[in-house]
This record gives sequence, structure tokens and C-alpha cells, in this order.
Amino acid sequence: MTGAPGAQSAPGARDIGELLRGLAPEVLGALVRRYGRFGACEDAVQEAMLEAVTSWPVRGVPGSPKGWLLTVASRRLIDDVRSEHARRRREQEDAAAAAPLEQPRRPGADHDDSLTLLFLCCHPALSGPSQIALTLRAVGGLSTAQIAAAFLVPEATMAQRISRAKEAIRASGARFEMPGSAERPARLGIVLHVLYLIFNEGYTATAGTGLTAPELSGEAIRLTRWLHRLLPADAEVTGLLALMLLTDARRAARTGPDGSLIPLDEQDRSLWDSAKIAEGLALVSAALPAGPVGPYQVQAAIAAVHDEAKSVDTTDWPQILGLYELLEQLAPGPMVSLNRAVAVAMVAGPAPGLELLRELESDRRLAGHHRLHATRAHLLEMSGDARGAVASYREAARRTTSLPERRYLTGRAARLAE
Amino acid sequence: MKYLLMIYGNQEKWESMPADAWADAIARQEAFNAKYRQTGELLGSYGLADAAQAKLVRRVNGLPAVTDGPYLETKEYMASFWLLDCDGQERAEQIAADMPFADGEPVELWPVLHESAADQ
Repeated sequence: MTGAPGAQSAPGARDIGELLRGLAPEVLGALVRRYGRFGACEDAVQEAMLEAVTSWPVRGVPGSPKGWLLTVASRRLIDDVRSEHARRRREQEDAAAAAPLEQPRRPGADHDDSLTLLFLCCHPALSGPSQIALTLRAVGGLSTAQIAAAFLVPEATMAQRISRAKEAIRASGARFEMPGSAERPARLGIVLHVLYLIFNEGYTATAGTGLTAPELSGEAIRLTRWLHRLLPADAEVTGLLALMLLTDARRAARTGPDGSLIPLDEQDRSLWDSAKIAEGLALVSAALPAGPVGPYQVQAAIAAVHDEAKSVDTTDWPQILGLYELLEQLAPGPMVSLNRAVAVAMVAGPAPGLELLRELESDRRLAGHHRLHATRAHLLEMSGDARGAVASYREAARRTTSLPERRYLTGRAARLAE
Repeated sequence: MKYLLMIYGNQEKWESMPADAWADAIARQEAFNAKYRQTGELLGSYGLADAAQAKLVRRVNGLPAVTDGPYLETKEYMASFWLLDCDGQERAEQIAADMPFADGEPVELWPVLHESAADQ
């Protein structure tokens, strides 16, 4: 069934890559549902995708790309099983012959399998980096080399991380099934957090060199968009997608030509992506009234208020303050409180903002955190205390572990000190 | 997050170690390396040659000029380093504390600057 008459004209490698990656979770989901053995199925799907990448540009995309992948991946899987357990060969072949994988299935079965797969990759038995790596490979359809390039680690390290993650899933005894209703909200929370981390990892000027390293923010948006299609009624999934779009819309304005970080108040807002903003606004407007309200929706709403303003001065700060107060109730944390302090300063002046910061200094999670010092520096600068601001910017620069942020903070201190 | 682990020493210190203790020390270190390679957290581990082998490289009038040195004033110099990529500071500290040498000598732990901006 490869190539063959009826196959479409040879498409570009990029189109094929996108087509394959869209199909990856469905193919893998169907395979695991059928045979179990998540680890081996995952390898087989990757091999089938590799084969497609070399074969399709030459022979054309088969009429049923998914069927082709299922057949090739099943063959690979059975080959593996065969070499492992020669005695069980007959059984496997008979089973495969008896129940072709492309049999009509109940509607929605593919979606369920894909979703189950995503839950499995974000299994709580895995560490954060392992959840991310496995999700990008098994659900995102990226190769180990691509994931390694995106995270600037050797391919061997990433391969080890992925195989270890599969082993941890096997050892945990996790089955290929949806989490029960009691467990599900917490498990979906992990899934959303993993997608959010992938997005943040890529939210940088330097990420990705085109073909070798995938652009992680775009990949996170693609996966979240896909999840939103599977779970359209989940307001937090919608909220996360909106948050990503409303944040990513500012990408072009967020860095200077030299790669330096440009803060929100200095960005050229004409560079913001109006299509992404419109899509994000529509999503968050639909999600909020549907409820229940969750942290991603509120963060998206905050991003939306920023995105709707023509400048930092015309930003609706009272509304942002109200949203941070709501966020503090829904998902309290030191970073949320810090952001609320900024909003307080924008609404009522730097003095009450600084007062709030002093209260936060006693929080052990924040003491020594660069963001506390950076926020204090901004508020001191607002209040006209240049000396104090310089000292706080420098302190923040010493404590951040982000290179672009360190450059930004050091530059800000240097400008003020002149 | 990436982290650099470093241990320090000098010739005198290495020589003071009984010869038969080396095999065990090396085996324990190899076991540490293997353990964290397997978890996908250890990017590389490297031992440095003796300070006598170190050079100073400059460019003078556009041409390389290589001299012996550095003549270290410190009693100990970097002997080995490890590059980690793990979940965060807490995990990096756990791994550093698992270093066989940590029983007798401190292990230096430095975060490596991240290329992307920290979370918003």
C-alpha cells in the first residue's frame, strides 16, 4: 500500500513532518490499546515515522497515511516481539490477521486513545523533565535528536531520559486507561503544567534553529490546541491555550535585534500579533463564563487586559489588580503575590506596592529570589529612588539564572547609575 | 536546569591516599556516573590533568602565544567537573550530596545560566 497510483503529488518534507506528527498520538494510542507494551509500541511508531520520512517524499503520501503507519509500526512491533519471543510468533501473527487494526471503531475511540496516551506520558511517577521529554516524543512525534537539540543536551542523554521514563511507567504498573473521575482533575492538572513548561522553555529569542531544534513554544501551542479539540468543554484547557496565544502574540516585540529582553512597558505594540490576540481573546471570553474559573483562565484574562491596551499607561490596572486578587485565592503562591504588588503599585503608587513587598520578604520561598529584588528595583525606580533601584537591580542580576534576564537587569542598573 | 559540580584537590592530596584505596574510590565514582547517566541527568563528567599540564593562551599581535601556567596561588585547583541537567536546585543538591567524594570534601554546585527567560 506504499506509493501506488492515487497517491498525491510529492509534498515537501515539512508538510510530511507536520502530517506525521499530527498522526503520531493516534497511531501510538491505537497500537498500545491493541498490544499493550507502551515502550515497544512507542519505538515502533518512531521507526515507522522514520520510514515514512524517507519513503513518502519519493513515492508519494499513501491514500491512508494513518493506515500505512499502523501497518508498518505493527510489523516492526511484531518483528521485535518475534526476536524476543520466537515461540510466540504464531500467536502474534494470528492475532494480527484476525483483527486488522483499521477495523471500524466506535466514534471517538481515536480521541480517547490519544488522550489516554497524553495522561500516560504525564504520569506522576515521572520527574518533570521526563514527562516533558516523553510527551514531546510520544505525543508530539518529535525525534529524540530534535528534543535533545531543543533542550541543548546530548542526544544520548535525552535517549536515556526517555527510556528511563518508559521504564518508570512500566514499573509503576500504570495501565493504558483513562484516570478515574476522582483522579482525573489532578492528572489533567499535571498534563496542563507539562504543556505550560514546554511553552515557557521555548519562550525565548534564541530557541530553535529551524530544522534541527523545534521551536518549543509553537510545539506547546500545537499540542494544547490539539488537546482543546479533544476536550472542548474543559475551561482550563481553553484558558491555557488562550494564555499561550496571548503571551506568544508579543514574541516579536519581546526581544531587540541584538536578542536583548524588552519588558512589556517598552515593547513596540504594533509588532504584536493581532491574529493570535484575537484568537486568545475569543477563547478566554468563551471559557470564563462557562467555568469553573481556574488559574490558567485568570492568567489568560490578565494577558488579555495587557494585550488590549495601546500602552502601559492606558492599561486597565484596576482590572489586572482584581484578577491577581482572584488568582491569589485560586492558586496562592509567592510569584502571584509579587505580581499583585506590581499591580498595587500601578493602581495606588509605588509606596503601597513596596509595603507589600516588605511583607513578602519574610516568605522563605521568596527570600533571595531574583524576582523579588527585580520587582523592588522597579518599584523603587518608580518612586524616584534611583540609588536603591540600582542596588536592587544588581542584586536581582546576581541571583537570576536566566542569561537574557541577567543582561537586562545589569543594563537597567547601568543606565540608572549613569 | 543545568548545573556544574566541581571538586578540588592537589597533587599532595592525591598522593596521600593509599594506593589500594584508589580502586575502590574509582569504582564508587564510576558507579555514581553510571547511575546518573542512566537517569538522563548527567551530561558529562571530566577529570582534569595535573596543573603542571595547564597552559595560558593569549593572542599577541594577532598571533597565539602559549605559556606555562597558571601558577596557582590557591592550595587546591579544580580536579574534576560534572555537567548535570535536572529538575531544579533541590534535585541538583541531592545529586551533589550523592557524590562519593562528598564524605570528605565539599562539592561545589553552580547553576549554569539558562538561555531562555525564567517563567513569566
